[in-house]
Amino acid sequence: MNYFLSIFQTISTLIIGMSVTLGHMLKIRKGNVTLQYPVERWPRPERDIGFSPDSYNVIRSRLTVDMDDCIGCLKCERACPVDCIKIETHKVEKGEDITEANHTGVTSNGTTKRLLLTRFDIDMSECCYCNLCTYPCPEECIFMVGGPNSTRHEIDYEFSEYDRNDMIYRFSKVPPDILQSYVQENK
Amino acid sequence: MGIKINNQNTHNSSDEEMVLNIGPQHPSTHGVLRLKTITDGEIIKKITPYIGYLHRCFEKHCENLTYEQAIPFVDRCDYIGSMNNDFGYAIAVEKLMDIQVPEKVEYIRVIVAEMNRIASHLLAVGVFGLDVGAVTPFVYCFRDRERILDLFEMLCGARLLYNYIWVGGVSHDFPVGWVEKTYEFLDYFEPKIIETNDLLTYNKIFIERTADVGVIPPEVAISYGVTGPNLRGSGVKWDLRKNETYSIYDKFDFDIPIGTGAMGTIGDCWDRYYVRIRELEESLKIVRQALDQMPRQGDIYESMPKKIRPNAGHIYSRTESPRGDLGFYIESDGSATPSRLKLRSPAFTALSCMDEISKGWMLADMLTILGSLDIVLGEIDR
Repeated sequence: MNYFLSIFQTISTLIIGMSVTLGHMLKIRKGNVTLQYPVERWPRPERDIGFSPDSYNVIRSRLTVDMDDCIGCLKCERACPVDCIKIETHKVEKGEDITEANHTGVTSNGTTKRLLLTRFDIDMSECCYCNLCTYPCPEECIFMVGGPNSTRHEIDYEFSEYDRNDMIYRFSKVPPDILQSYVQENK
Repeated sequence: MGIKINNQNTHNSSDEEMVLNIGPQHPSTHGVLRLKTITDGEIIKKITPYIGYLHRCFEKHCENLTYEQAIPFVDRCDYIGSMNNDFGYAIAVEKLMDIQVPEKVEYIRVIVAEMNRIASHLLAVGVFGLDVGAVTPFVYCFRDRERILDLFEMLCGARLLYNYIWVGGVSHDFPVGWVEKTYEFLDYFEPKIIETNDLLTYNKIFIERTADVGVIPPEVAISYGVTGPNLRGSGVKWDLRKNETYSIYDKFDFDIPIGTGAMGTIGDCWDRYYVRIRELEESLKIVRQALDQMPRQGDIYESMPKKIRPNAGHIYSRTESPRGDLGFYIESDGSATPSRLKLRSPAFTALSCMDEISKGWMLADMLTILGSLDIVLGEIDR
């Protein structure tokens, strides 16, 4: 008797389960959640967190630096838990433009710069996307793409490379031949 | 129903024993875990879990990191329930520094932690179904989990490893429209639990595979230090949110579901599974109440310290993560880095009773038992 009861229960619960899946099959057009990825993409979530004229973007993607605004304070380098930001600076005349090294003397916030950034490398293959480096920045010039300057940059999730060295982003604007002279001067 | 065979009835000859290594790369071990099983035919005589394949030196590494910098690494311990880990860590450091966070921050933290608990339990339920051979519920659970992850992406920019709950506050306030979307999700998700029940919970085949299998009697669970849904599945009513109330959990009305042995014995795999399903409902209740009561105005950065330098001393604080009792022991020498940080992992204790409860069961039942414990190897190895 128990044997037949088990068979009955199995079949009845199977039918209940099948009816759930059948219901989904019938409304597949309406309730479809699977996307054909490279062709279709899930829309990025709304990103207005409400205190900026342009939507302040919090989505974490690649790090970007506005080198014209960077004063070389090393706060981001110290905040990074995995040490993927490497900065080297060179002392120059305060507030002066050096055109051959693409150096501007004053940031867009009006702060005078006394340091020339000979190196600003971010290894994005080491980055853990914690976003900790963007908060201490006094000039708001480093951001996981988005941030207050989101209008100037695009969000990109797909930035894989064939070579690991291509994942190191070099932001320093100093041309290599001029860089050599600064490095020798430092020695 | 699995067949449990007592050791006395089998042959004594050790020639018939076989050593079988399950893992480290095996889909049913939920990560990189090696189970060295000594089997007699298909019956398990002994299991030795070998852990450490995912060891990242978390505790030692934290001694070289400041308190803020440790949070991304705390995230990566239990990568299924990151918010809960951050929550536990933040509470521990705040206790060490005597910080009282504003009411609004408490509400935000409880909301995101309970949302993360739903996401974590959805994964546990779905993957448990996958372990016993039901593929469909897994896809359904992931569909709903994806919605929570989307909400978190909108909230803090990351989908799994959030770094959202900070010491003394949270990184952002809720974005505009987030609360409405969360209400929308709650309304959407409530009927989906019934769907999961129809698909999996009361399915006769599923019950036959899980009921009476891998029973953890309450006294065994307590002696091994098993916590969380695994302990509650054994019929012990112990939940830190109620028993040792932290944060603002005393303001909410919710039950602690316990295993009743509805389909077999108290403390079997089905009970542990069903406790998780019931906890989904309880978490939904908490999120809804918290959203209703939350003060809309308020400064969330009010209590955030400029520099985290706790006075010399030590603290042990524990919170209820989706896997159980998550404890942080922090020893401070007054500098910006902890001089010792220890994490008490609930998944580790759950795995430790594996040998005791799976003796005498078949190999296929062993994987059911392992799936019902809902372990995360990132937290076990640290």
